[in-house]
Amino acid sequence: MAFSTTQALPVVSTGSTPIPPWAKFGILFGLVSAASILLWGPIGVSGTYPRFVGAVLRVVSPAYASANPYLVKMGSLLKPETYLVVGLLIGGFLAALLNREQKPALEMVHSGEKSSGARYRDAFIGGVLIVFGARIAGGCTSGHIISGITQLSVSGMIFGAGVFATGIGTAKLLKKGGN
Amino acid sequence: MTGLYALLVGVAMGVLIQRVRASSPGVIAQNLRLENISIIKFMATTIAVGMVLVYLLNLAVPMHFDIKPTYVVGVLVGGLVFGVGFGIGGYCPGTCVVGLGEGRKDAIWAVLGGVVGALVFTLVYATIIAPMNTLMDLGKITLADVLHLPAVVVALVLGAIFAVVITLLPTNFTSKKAF
Repeated sequence: MAFSTTQALPVVSTGSTPIPPWAKFGILFGLVSAASILLWGPIGVSGTYPRFVGAVLRVVSPAYASANPYLVKMGSLLKPETYLVVGLLIGGFLAALLNREQKPALEMVHSGEKSSGARYRDAFIGGVLIVFGARIAGGCTSGHIISGITQLSVSGMIFGAGVFATGIGTAKLLKKGGN
Repeated sequence: MTGLYALLVGVAMGVLIQRVRASSPGVIAQNLRLENISIIKFMATTIAVGMVLVYLLNLAVPMHFDIKPTYVVGVLVGGLVFGVGFGIGGYCPGTCVVGLGEGRKDAIWAVLGGVVGALVFTLVYATIIAPMNTLMDLGKITLADVLHLPAVVVALVLGAIFAVVITLLPTNFTSKKAF
């Protein structure tokens, strides 16, 4: 403390750096994903989207819902995955609240996003493609990449390679956004 | 009971995804442009910790493994489509739900896109997807099956390789010497 007036404290310590956030949260996420396989099964998110569509259609158009082979195959929303997705919503809310964060500003992600409307458009188009693609493959980031590769499944590795091939290509093509 | 476990796992996942900033489409785009690969390292850490844990635990207690089938064409095509959507929107099916929870205005558009993507998928499943997904179907195989080695050995070796690569690879690739 005696030197505090003459010597500025370093902003970034260059010696023994503390564990970076991605490593800390990655280790914790690994524990959660393993606990999930121990307790009931691997985590997965994207299947909830068609199950939700099925639940709506069984009310709006029961004839279509009962005749559609995919909706029949996916079954009702009464699955652990549905609770998991509800948990994601609560978790996102709680984390922001407990961390006392401001409501996040809208991020312009690509050079082509000049307005909030353009960002909503890209989020929507992205949303269509990620769930459509995930359903072709039978899983998404959580089901195929995280829990798939965790279980050493070959399908998770192939899916991951495909995702990063076009994901990196698309993001580089669209370039950096305004903020 | 399973529902409660899944809800709690979902909440934990949601908190961790928000805290590591994987629910930020701007951060995802940075990762996919390979400017800062914090989330890619987060995912790799999760997978490495998870695979070692689940296959070590499996020596002592029965685990709820659920390997997804490797229908090579469908899994790869699905991954490629997913990657384009990931690159455009900056969300995956789970992170947009977390983003919705923390109050991101574009996240609802990604979720709605996902519901539309799932609806369109149910319309084309029987005619296009189901036939495609019978091509090159190798069944529920793991890397351990391919290599004819015990899964725990493969998990320990692959987990160690992941750990070395994650540690040696820089996180920030931009010229700015931030974190």
